[in-house]
Parts: sequence; C-alpha cells; structure tokens
Amino acid sequence: MRLPGFEFHEPTSVASACEVMGRLREKARLLAGGTDLIVNMKKKVIRPDHVVSLGRIDILKGIIEENGHLTIGACVTAAELAGAEVIRESLAALADGAAVLGSPLIRNLATVAGNLVSARPAADLPPPLMVYDAQTVLIKATGERSVDLNGFFLGPGKTLMEPDEILTGITIEMPKGCYGDSYIKLGVRQTLEISLVNVAAFIQLNGAEGSITKARIVLGAVGPTPLRAISAEEALMGQSPSDALFARAGEAAAGDAKPIDDFRGSAEYRRDMVAVLTKRALNAALDRARSR
Amino acid sequence: MKKLIRLTINDQDYEIAVKPNQTLADVIREDIGLTGTKKGCEVGECGTCTVILDGKPVNSCLVLAVQADGKHILTIEGLDTDKGLHPIQKAFVEKGAIQCGFCTSGMILSAKSLLDRHPDADEHEIRAAISGNLCRCTGYQKIVEAIASVKDRGPVS
Repeated sequence: MRLPGFEFHEPTSVASACEVMGRLREKARLLAGGTDLIVNMKKKVIRPDHVVSLGRIDILKGIIEENGHLTIGACVTAAELAGAEVIRESLAALADGAAVLGSPLIRNLATVAGNLVSARPAADLPPPLMVYDAQTVLIKATGERSVDLNGFFLGPGKTLMEPDEILTGITIEMPKGCYGDSYIKLGVRQTLEISLVNVAAFIQLNGAEGSITKARIVLGAVGPTPLRAISAEEALMGQSPSDALFARAGEAAAGDAKPIDDFRGSAEYRRDMVAVLTKRALNAALDRARSR
Repeated sequence: MKKLIRLTINDQDYEIAVKPNQTLADVIREDIGLTGTKKGCEVGECGTCTVILDGKPVNSCLVLAVQADGKHILTIEGLDTDKGLHPIQKAFVEKGAIQCGFCTSGMILSAKSLLDRHPDADEHEIRAAISGNLCRCTGYQKIVEAIASVKDRGPVS
C-alpha cells in the first residue's frame, strides 16, 4: 500500500508553520501523529500535494500548568496524556479517555490535536475534554483565537477551523474544590475499537455530602458530533447525588442523544446504553469527588 | 525529491536518501534490508510492523521515514547479541509461542517494551501491552505464558 507522492515540509517554529499553511492552504495537510492522516492517504481518501509536519516544533509537545490553567500542546500523545501525573490526578476523565484510544502502539503516535481535528463522532478525547470546558487555541499568520471545544465540531470530519489555521493546543481551567469526573467507552472489544457509545461526566459538589453545583455530561458516537446532554445537566443542578437522580439524568441524556443505526449497533440500543452509561459515569464521578 | 536522513537502527548509524512518501517500515525493509519487521495491514491495526522508536513501540507503517530523521530505532534484529537470543526470544521458543511467526517480531518488541518498564508485569498487564499486536493463528495463550515466564527469571536487560 504505497503513499501517493507529496512535498514534505518540516517547520521548526509555529510562526514558520503558519507561514507555510498561509501559502499552501487547502493544498496542504498538517501531520502530527499520522495515525489518521497516513491511513487516509494510503487509502486515497485524501491526496494532499503538501504535508506539513508539526513534529519538529518542540513547544507543541509540552503539558504546562500555570496560574490555575493547564495547557496541553497539540503534539502531546495519547500515551503521554494517559501517563501525565497532573492529568491522572486532576483531569481523570481525560486520562481515562486517552488510555483507551486505539492500541498501545497507536497511543505512542496519536496526538491530542489529531484526535480533535479529525472530528470523528466516536473519538475518545473530545467528550472528556469537553466536560472541563476545554478551549482550543487556533493560530494562523494573521492572528490567534480561542474557541470553546463545545462548538468546535460541525459534523463528521468537519470543524470550524480555517484551511490556514493550526490547532496548537488546548487550555483547561483546572477544576477546584469537591469535583469528580469519569469517562466510559462501550465497544465490543477492548483495543482498536470505535465506540458504540461513550460518555464523559463531571460533577462539582458543595462539599462531599453537598448538592451538585456544576454538571457536565458529554456523549460520543450518538450524533454527528460529540454533544452535551443539556437536559441531563439541568436535571442534576442543585440536587443531592443519589442513584435515583443519576437514573433520571441518564434518561434525560438518552433523550438528548441523536443516534443512528449502523453496522456497529442500532440507534435504539445506543439510546438505551446512553442511559445506562450516563448513570454509571455519574456514580464513578461521585466516587472520585468523595475521595478527592 | 529525496531527502537525506540520518538514523540509528540497532546501534548502527545509517545515512540514507528517502522519498517523503516512504514509510519507516518501507525503508527498514527495502532500503536497509532488515526484513524481520513485517508489513501486514499497513494501516496501524495489526502491529506486525512494530519497532521501538526512541524507546517507545510504534507502528512503523504509520511513520514517514523523514519523520525518523535523527531518531533511534530498535528492530527485532537488534535483540539477539553475541551471547545468543534475547531472553524473551528464548522464552517464545521454549514455550512454543510461535506458530506461523508473522506476528512474532512485533509481539516480542511490545513485550520487551513492557518488561523494560515493568519487569514484574502481571497477566493483565501483559495482555494489555500486546493488545495492539494481532496473532491470526490465535496463539495468544502461549505468547502470554512465554512473556510471563521471562518475568519469573528476573529483570530483563
């Protein structure tokens, strides 16, 4: 399986990468981990004339905690996310998601930016990033903007990024106080699996035995983009955590889901599983909140 | 247009002109001539092309050779030494963990990567570590037993 020919560019700074993308625009594709791009090029799904690698830009490889914010560089791999102490301890849902992406071999290549810009509805990183209200940093030669990840995706394979923009990283305001978070992926196999349904949950409590002051539920693989289950979040707000409450939130999330039938599973099954997994994810988040 | 890259494979330095659309797997097999690295699915799903790139096991079919410029690569050929086979290779032979052999290079490199980090890995960790390597003979049980038997002999170099 040969790759079609292309011209290769290897800028060593964000500024020079922006210059190259500003010039080549739709003719070029950015290369980070390559686990999507190289596969799609081999299958001739896309045939860019130019490939612009981000692999020599060291500043894109760091995880930096500063002033209560965490910045994750575009080229941080899934394995690095899953292994980073600050993420395991403070953003556990993200560590969970990164640990089940692809396979151990894929996780050593695949990057956080790649998992976002590919915009696959079942991707493992968008839901656990969205529960922390993560922001994407988009840079091009003429300027920089920050875009909420909730709103970044437009449909399967589509984002609001412009052809000359580069996603250089993610910023997250570190949650504080009594909060818990989790991510659950449902598939028929444990590795190299595309989710049938995935759910990320985040709840903040007014003390370990207190009521819910903030809730985020994000569903994957049950719509054209990862989606916030707004009615489930509303059902949780101000309430005391309980099994019955989490079951009601699960039913609400099932109502928010927009699943389709495909060869992996039926819409009906996916909707039922949203209810089950949302309840389960909330219980896991509660356990973490109370042990934090 | 070809690009001159320098890379270290199994502690030997190579300087080689490659095309941008050659993968690391292509270059290792066809230009360097080390055919222990196999090509199976070529899209990152089977793990037969596993090499250890700067200390981490990866699918070499998904890495462009130009991306490997300046990097250190270990292939299956780098495991045996003057003293003979690597302990993981010996374990695979002793436990009958090889059937057709096509997945073996990748399995052994994934196992080495695990045991280097966790010499006392349990069965669950062993199965997780080789979960990106498929054996179409489905000989997993003996592969897992072979890797576990290495662990019992103490840390692996």
